[in-house]
Order: sequence, then structure tokens, then C-alpha cells
Amino acid sequence: MVDVIDKAREEFLSEAQELIEALSRSVMALDELQNASSEDPALVNETFRIVHTLKGLSGIFSAKAIGTLSHQVEDVLDVLRLGKLQSSEEFIDVLLRVVELYWLLLANEKSGEEPPDLEPTLEQLRQFASRAGAERVESSSAQELDPTLLAVLTEYEEHRLRTCVERGFSLFKVRVCFRLETLDKELDAIKSVLTPLGEVITYLPTGEASSIDTIELDLLLASPSGAEDIEAAASTKSVRVVPVLLRSPRASQPERALERVAFTPPITVAPPPDQEQSPRRVRESELMTTGAIRSVSQTVRVDIRKLDTLMNSVGELAIVRGALGRVSERLRAEGKRQLATELQRLHRSFERRLGELQSGILEVRMVPLSQVFDRLTRVVRQISRDVGKQVRLVITGSDTEIDKLIVEELSDPLMHLVRNAIDHGIETAERRLALGKPEQGIIAINAFQKGNHVVLEIEDDGGGIDEQFLIQRAVHSGALGEGQATELSRGEVMNLVFLPGVSTREQVGDYSGRGVGMDVVKTNIAKLGGVIDLHSERNIGTKITVTLPITLAIVSALLVRCAGHTFALPLTSISEALSLDAANVRRINHREVYTLRGASLPLCRLEQLLELTTHSGHITPSGRRRFVVVATVGNRRLGLVTDELLGQEDIVIKSLGKSLRGVRGFSGATELGDQRVALVLDVAAVIEEVLHGGDAREPELRGTIDA
Amino acid sequence: MPELVHSDWRLSSRVLGKGLHEFLSFRLADESYVVELALVREISSPPALTKVPRAPVGVMGVCSVRGLLVTVFDLRYRLRVPLSPQSRTSRILLTSAGAEDELVGLFVDEVKHVIRLEGSEIEPPQSALGIEAPDYVIGVGRKQGDVFVVLNLVGLMS
Repeated sequence: MVDVIDKAREEFLSEAQELIEALSRSVMALDELQNASSEDPALVNETFRIVHTLKGLSGIFSAKAIGTLSHQVEDVLDVLRLGKLQSSEEFIDVLLRVVELYWLLLANEKSGEEPPDLEPTLEQLRQFASRAGAERVESSSAQELDPTLLAVLTEYEEHRLRTCVERGFSLFKVRVCFRLETLDKELDAIKSVLTPLGEVITYLPTGEASSIDTIELDLLLASPSGAEDIEAAASTKSVRVVPVLLRSPRASQPERALERVAFTPPITVAPPPDQEQSPRRVRESELMTTGAIRSVSQTVRVDIRKLDTLMNSVGELAIVRGALGRVSERLRAEGKRQLATELQRLHRSFERRLGELQSGILEVRMVPLSQVFDRLTRVVRQISRDVGKQVRLVITGSDTEIDKLIVEELSDPLMHLVRNAIDHGIETAERRLALGKPEQGIIAINAFQKGNHVVLEIEDDGGGIDEQFLIQRAVHSGALGEGQATELSRGEVMNLVFLPGVSTREQVGDYSGRGVGMDVVKTNIAKLGGVIDLHSERNIGTKITVTLPITLAIVSALLVRCAGHTFALPLTSISEALSLDAANVRRINHREVYTLRGASLPLCRLEQLLELTTHSGHITPSGRRRFVVVATVGNRRLGLVTDELLGQEDIVIKSLGKSLRGVRGFSGATELGDQRVALVLDVAAVIEEVLHGGDAREPELRGTIDA
Repeated sequence: MPELVHSDWRLSSRVLGKGLHEFLSFRLADESYVVELALVREISSPPALTKVPRAPVGVMGVCSVRGLLVTVFDLRYRLRVPLSPQSRTSRILLTSAGAEDELVGLFVDEVKHVIRLEGSEIEPPQSALGIEAPDYVIGVGRKQGDVFVVLNLVGLMS
């Protein structure tokens, strides 16, 4: 019995979470509208419906606090959608606070801790609601509309109708016959056809059905177009369009008044147990409507651990596939050609299907970056207000997708970068005006996919980074010797900001100053297998580019052998592999450099970097052919020198245990076919270590450069 | 009763208290050690170990145990016992004594048997080994003429 209750509770939490996420997105959109001083009644209605559903849900599961909050928010949103209240920045602020409270309350439901104090926010909401009475925005009360028409509309629908009438729209009845079993799809289809032409106020059953499995609805459409245009647009479905008189008929023009027909809808949405609802509002939930409920049912919430289990199984299958290939080769070698060919055919088919399965599961793990971005908008408003600067956040590419696990870890680093931009990047309004810049600073976040990586650009139009200041701080913190400063290229100076101790402020500001520097951000990004780059121009701005792998789970890798050790290099970080030609190796500034098609490629001898002592019994004959694997992450390249290239394999990367956390250069290990384990090289980390080792000692170059 | 100066006094007082406790005895070079049997999940022949470059000393490598990646430590290093090459009797003890309950493997030269010791059969380290007892030693056990060092596995791995 307890199990059933627990499961139901899990369901509730899961549904509530989706609703709160939807609410968060709606509030963001409302904020955008507010800023642009435009309106979208459908969006306001949508927001209302989400809170309405949340209220009902919380009632069923006795989540009192969530219910109380929802009730008050619903009241205010209703007033808003009826046009009795204008949105404002203060209003949006309260809504943002509401979203925050919902998250806190939801967390409380799980943890059972001390709930947050709702009273201040409830009071604010009440004030908005009470202000509404005095703020009647529309002036159409003078309009006389047909009372029989009004009788079938809810208060909200009437408001929408009046608004349309004010804009000079005419009203039409669009009569359509639907099949019951595909009602929602067809209804959606016809609505999407009609919406560009105007606004669908409501729909009513006509009460006349030609058969048991069909239903006929009248869609009330307010539109500036004519009846013919509407019929033409709805040409795919047989419709009848009839204009509707808005005013009470005086002349003898008989117009069939719309009648409210007693109708039991075949598909009902369970009405929330709320006795206070007025009868008008109740009808809203009786008829099928699109919105929050529909979007919830089209997605499936999946526990990421289940996906991990699936990925593991796929990984094991990949190992079996490899073994199959080897068996087929052995059969061939033993002369059993027919069997070998058959097995090979099956192997290829298996490989194809497995590839499809793998891609499918990987796709399921992907979530849009908007999850991370939504939070940012709120934070930006808060911080910019607190530090007294005007900042606007512009986000593009928020539907770029990335592995769920990466998204979880991205939130913090992104937050720090944005905070830095506001705190140190964007200047005060006065300074900006003095420089001829617009008063409001802009932080632009752009996300897009590039090959097997996701690129995030965070750009501000602030003051840029002061190189001299940076060098001073680096010297001050001991990261840079006095004389070294002049030897640095511009790019290297910029990278100083990532050294520990350099980007922390001496006076503790509220945000960026508290010891969270760019070095921490860089470490966090590196843990996800990504890299971070920085460009800055004085007085123009700063652009930070974060490059991340799309997924961490299963990857194609190149297996290499070096000094008797086998390593796996993820293919996403490799651009090519070639034979090492000793003639192309030069030594510049104590480093080895390879000339590849006219360009210089820094080299790294893996056995030196990793301090590999060869396994006993293994001899690397000098003069033997070696290989260079060109590793590329972001816009950095490094040539890794190895002894052998073993081939390509799909691997599942498993993390090394906590006891090995301090070991640098590996992102995990993988099991190869015969239960042997190979370490997976963290290419980004190796590039980092070799190219920007800083105080790390240079690997000893032994003897002459050999082939 | 001599005062116990021990980092994990709870553990030792439990072990040294009344009642019979089960231990697993094993050999490292010429010395015999025991650890609480309950902490040992599994004993297996050493699988192929993959060395981890630049790992801390004492890490023998990593291996796969039925799909799970396990780090294997060389107890001989930690206890400063002379190393000898792997032999037929070498074993890996799987235990969740690693950092944050991580499952790790411990290399031993030979696994002997299960021993039951009463608290009274275990002497606190001070009296048996002198004042300087490492904190991973709970005490010294004696049974039927044999002497074992009773190890605090968790203390050893931290």
C-alpha cells in the first residue's frame, strides 16, 4: 500500500516539476513581451492555465503550500488576462519570485524541511489583484453585444471577444465535423489554420452529430478577413463559415442565435476539486483545450539512471559486436569461408542496427540548453539591479541540445561567467554614455552545434580586459615572474585570467569577488571535457567561447599503443593521424614542433608526458616507425606521438574511481573486448597541460629526435 | 585497561569488545594480517591489471570486475612489506573501504582462512607493538600459537 502512495507521490512531483518548468518559460516570455511593450493574450492565457493545473494537482495530493500559492497567482493571472491589469516590470519581478518559490516548495515536498515564507509574496500578489478593479484598461463597455451570444461565453472569452471587436474584427461561426477518435489532432489542425486569420474565441458543440463516432463543433472566430477567405484557408477540411451578428437583431433578419446545448463531452479533463470556481470557469476545463495538459502528455519523463543502464547495455553489445568480427576472421583463417561470410553478413547487419540503437539512446539523453539559460535571465536582472547597472541578456540558440549530464554541470560555470561580465565587464551607465555607448549594456549568449561539439559564446559590450592590470595581478600572485611578462603573446596574456589568484578581487564584492575565479570556471569546464577561450578588446568588450563535447556516454575512439600501454583517444578530438616523418620535426624554444602542410604543430611524446616506463619485456626498437595523432579541441592543436595505431572502436567511458581523482590526463577507462582495460585519454586536459603548462616542468627531451 | 589511543576508537572498542568476530587472514611476504571479514566483498584471482600512469605510489592499476571499474592497491606498499612477484597464490580482495565507500581491490600474496577471535584474544597495539602504533592497526591477535596483525581497513585506505 505504501508503495502505491510513494509511486503516486513521485508522479505528482514529476508532473509538478514539468508544470513549473513550463511556467518558468512562460514568465520569461512575458518578460520579453513586457520589455518590447507588446502583448500576447494567448501567452497570458497559457500561463493562467499552467497555474490553474498546478493548483488542481496540488489539491489532489494535498500539497498545501503549493496550492495556496497557486490560488493567489491564478487570481492575479486571471485579472491580467481579462485586461483588468497591465503588466509591468514590478509585476514580472513578482512572477519571477513566484517561480523561485515554486522550486523551493517543490524541493520541500521532497526533503520535508522548513518551508519558505510565502506571506510577503502573497501580499504582493493580493495588492496587484486589488489594484485591478480600478485599472480597467479597455473602453469597450459602451459596446452593446448580443446577450444570447455573451451567455455562452466565459468572462475571459467575452473579454477576448470585446478586444477583437474593438479592433474592428467580425465574428464568424466555423462549423466543422470531427471524428471523435482523432478529435484533439484535428482540432489542433483546424485551429492552427484559423489562428493566422484572427483569434479563435471558443468552440461550442452544435448538438447535431451525423453519427455516433463524430462530433460537430462551431468554432467562433474573430477575424478581419471575409468569410470567403476563411473558407479558402480551411479548404482541407470541409467547413461552413457563417458570419455572426454581434448586436441583438432589430430588423427581421433571422439569425440563428447560438444556443448553449446541454452536452456531455466525450473526452473530459478531470476538473480540479475546487468548490470556489464560478460555473463559467468550470466550462473551461470541461472542453478539450490545448495548452499545459496536452504538452505534458506528449512527453515522457525518464530517469537518467535508466538511460545510463541502457547505454551500458549498448556498450556491452558493442563489445560483443567486436568479438563477433574477430570470430568471423578466425573462421576465415581456418578455411571455413562460407561460414565466415555468413557470419560477416550478420555482423554487418548487427553493426548497423546497433548504431541506430546507440544514436537513438544518445538522442534521448539530449536536452535543450534552455534549461540552463532560463535561470540566467532571472539572475541577470537581480544582479544588474543590485550593482546599479543596466544590463540586458540576449540569448540565441537555446534549443541547441546537449547531454543531460553536461547541462547539470554547466549551470554554475555559466553563472560565474555572466556575473563576471556584469560586475567587471559592463561599465556604469554614466561611463558608457561618456564613451558613446548605449546606456544599457548587453550580454549576448549564443549556442550552436559545431560538428561533435556544442559551442557557447558569451559576449559583452563592456570595457574589455585591461592587459596591464592582468599582468600586474599575475606577477603579484606569483603566477608570473617579473621578466616573463614581456615574452607573452597577446593570447597568452589573455589566458592569464585563468590562473588561480589572478581573477579574484581583493575587496570582496557580493558576487565575483568571493574567491570564485576564472580558474574554477576553467576547471569545471575541463571536467566536462571542454575548453574555454577568451578574447577581449579594451572598451569594446569581451567574448568568451566555451566548447563542449555533445555527449559523454559512448564514443568512437582511436586505440593507440605507446610504450606497451594501450590508450583510447575519443575521435571527436582527433582530426587526423599520420606517419611521423623525422625530417619535419624541429625544435623551437625547447619544444618539438612538426611541420604539417606548411603549418606548425606542437608535438607531445606521450611516453614522456605520462612518464611511461615500458612494461617489462617490451622493447621499443629505435628507428621504428612512429605515428602522430593530431588532437584538436576548440582552436588548439597538438600532435601526440605514439608507437602504434591499433584501430577504431566504439567505447563506453567509465569514470575512474574517486581514489584516482588526482591523476591528470585521463577522462576514464574503458573495457576492451577481452576484459582488458584501456585508459581513455582526456585530450583537452593533455592539450592544456602541454600548451599551457605554465609552471609545470618541461618534459625532458631525451637524446636526438628519432623517427 | 590501558587507554586506547586510536583514531577510530569506536571501531577498536567494538572489535576488542565482547563477542566473537570473524576475520580473514592473509599473507603479505612473511607476515600475517587479518581484516574484518564483513568488509571483504569478494576474493578473486588477480585479473589483468592496467597500469595508471602518474598514479600515486601504491596504486597497482585498474581492472574490470564484471563490468565495474576497480582500482587495485598494493597493500604491501602501504604496510611497507617487501614486494615479491605475483604467484599462483596471489589474490585480490574486493572491499568497499575506498574513499567514500568506493569498491577497491587490495593485492595480497596469499589468502589463508577465516579466523574467529574474541575481543580478549586481541591485544591493543601499545602493549604488543610499543607506543608507536600506526592508526591502521587495531591490535595484535593471537590464536593457537599464531600471531596476526589486526588491520583497520578503513583507516588503512584513508
